[in-house]
Amino acid sequence: MGKPSIKELGYTAALCRRKVLRMIEAGGAGHMGGAMSCIDIVTALYFYAMNLDPANPKMPERDRFVLSAGHKCMAQYAVLCQKGFFDEKVLDSYGSLNSKIPGHPDMYKLPGVEANTGALGHGLSIGLGMALGLRMDGAKAKTFVVMGDGELAEGSNWEAAAAAAQFKADNLAVFVDCNGLQISGKTRDIMDMNPAPRFAAFGWAVREIDGNSMDEITAALDALPFAEGKPSLIAAHTVKARGVSFAEGIAKYHYWKPSAEELQKAIAESEKKIEEAKP
Amino acid sequence: MNTLQTRDPRKEFGAAVFAAAQKNPAIVALSADSGGSSGLGEFQKTWPDRYFELGIMEQAATGVASGLATTGKIPVFCAIAPFVTSRPYEMVRNDCGYMRQNVKIVGRNGGITYSDLGSTHHSLEDFAIMGMIPGMVVLCPQDPNEIKNAVDAMIAHNGPVYMRIGNEPLPVFTEDKPFVIGRGAVLKEGRDLTIVGTGTLSHPALLAARELAEKGIDAEVIGMPTISPIDEALIAASAEKTGRVLTVEEHYVPGGLGSIVAAVCAQNHPVPVKMLGLPKAYAGSGPYKDIMRYYGLDAGGIAKTAMGFCAGRN
Repeated sequence: MGKPSIKELGYTAALCRRKVLRMIEAGGAGHMGGAMSCIDIVTALYFYAMNLDPANPKMPERDRFVLSAGHKCMAQYAVLCQKGFFDEKVLDSYGSLNSKIPGHPDMYKLPGVEANTGALGHGLSIGLGMALGLRMDGAKAKTFVVMGDGELAEGSNWEAAAAAAQFKADNLAVFVDCNGLQISGKTRDIMDMNPAPRFAAFGWAVREIDGNSMDEITAALDALPFAEGKPSLIAAHTVKARGVSFAEGIAKYHYWKPSAEELQKAIAESEKKIEEAKP
Repeated sequence: MNTLQTRDPRKEFGAAVFAAAQKNPAIVALSADSGGSSGLGEFQKTWPDRYFELGIMEQAATGVASGLATTGKIPVFCAIAPFVTSRPYEMVRNDCGYMRQNVKIVGRNGGITYSDLGSTHHSLEDFAIMGMIPGMVVLCPQDPNEIKNAVDAMIAHNGPVYMRIGNEPLPVFTEDKPFVIGRGAVLKEGRDLTIVGTGTLSHPALLAARELAEKGIDAEVIGMPTISPIDEALIAASAEKTGRVLTVEEHYVPGGLGSIVAAVCAQNHPVPVKMLGLPKAYAGSGPYKDIMRYYGLDAGGIAKTAMGFCAGRN
């Protein structure tokens, strides 16, 4: 099976955005902003880059995915569902007692989830450990980590960033979802971590892209590793709440408890975009 | 008993990990600039590809250990006890505990064995905080034989384990036999009170029992090298037999062995319980034996507390 086209990936991402809204409809609220900003990246990883088998989610040679910014989990749930890891009826359990898709991902509840994230500043270390373990086994598998830009203020990330360079973990690739916003406002006003030059200074090979452009995401994925013997960092500039026009780029939509009217408006927009994106 | 052979806990630990790693290629070691002092120098020399030097970064080291474990490795991460427990606690809790990963965390120089380095280097809350993590086994072996056998048990157990070892040479007083996680043992039978010890204080408890015998008090001594899960049946049976329980440990009194034993007694067979350990305060610095004696944590201090307890004094 060949790789999907840019057009097909865009269509898949549109379907996944609609699934995020379905979860919010079921649960009444959720971390919408970050899910929508990173969902193009997560879609490209699962549908374009990673070697995975939904029928055999523990396949040893699989690529690994860690969502360090665990609150963006609706993006991962939508994509896992779209990929066939679980039945889409599960989406309607979002927010209910003992749901398989809780507010942060749980590897023991949902096939395809590789780490229990949620507390920020954990995923990069875990992903590095996965990459080192896979390398020890001589596996070709890659490890991908998606982080938030606000999350970079956690010092543990910089411990892991140093270690990944020290261990020359070029089977590790990290996307920072730079949507520029966190709960309290603009990331650059709160704690400006400016990932591209800082990761470069830590010994990573770095690219900056438009993280909502399938062209640019897939070009970056095609170029991995950016340098032999170095971990790869993609500073992906995105728009928070991308795809929900009235919420785009506004910090308060980090966590969204929509009114019925707001939700219907978002769903109508999303369905229109699916129609437009049809290959 | 004064002529017992003594051995170094860290060397014993390092040799046991080395022996286990010879048989099991999945075992990997992590160091936070701590490998040589943890007895893992031979491991590093023999298997450089299985040895990860992280430098002084215990948070990332703990997360890396979890990630390695997801690929089937059995990571053994050893450093000074507070730096693998309280420092990276959230990584231990989430990445190892909540993710149920097969990571072995070993706190060396536990308790106040770095006595002269002061409270930054003491770990007097590790039983409490590590024992509070669901699924985390907490071990505190009592002598060199037990350290060796506990390493084998820790590796064989599929799940996260915390093991505390000290630094002072330890007398060999237990039999060299397989270590069973979750089991304590009666080291000496008695009728008048039960003394439950763990780690460095089980042998002084035995010596205290000898002193007590001379005063006409027949103490039962239980050695408890697993803090979590605790051997409830053994504690309850002994409490029923003797009617009073004294706990001794190199740990804060709140949250340690004493609190756990008291809870077991309260829920199974309520009896008076007296807890001997360090008060919840910064312990100060000085020679190890002097600090231990100051807090009554030697054979004489244990015997004195036991006599007061039996006489109804506090």
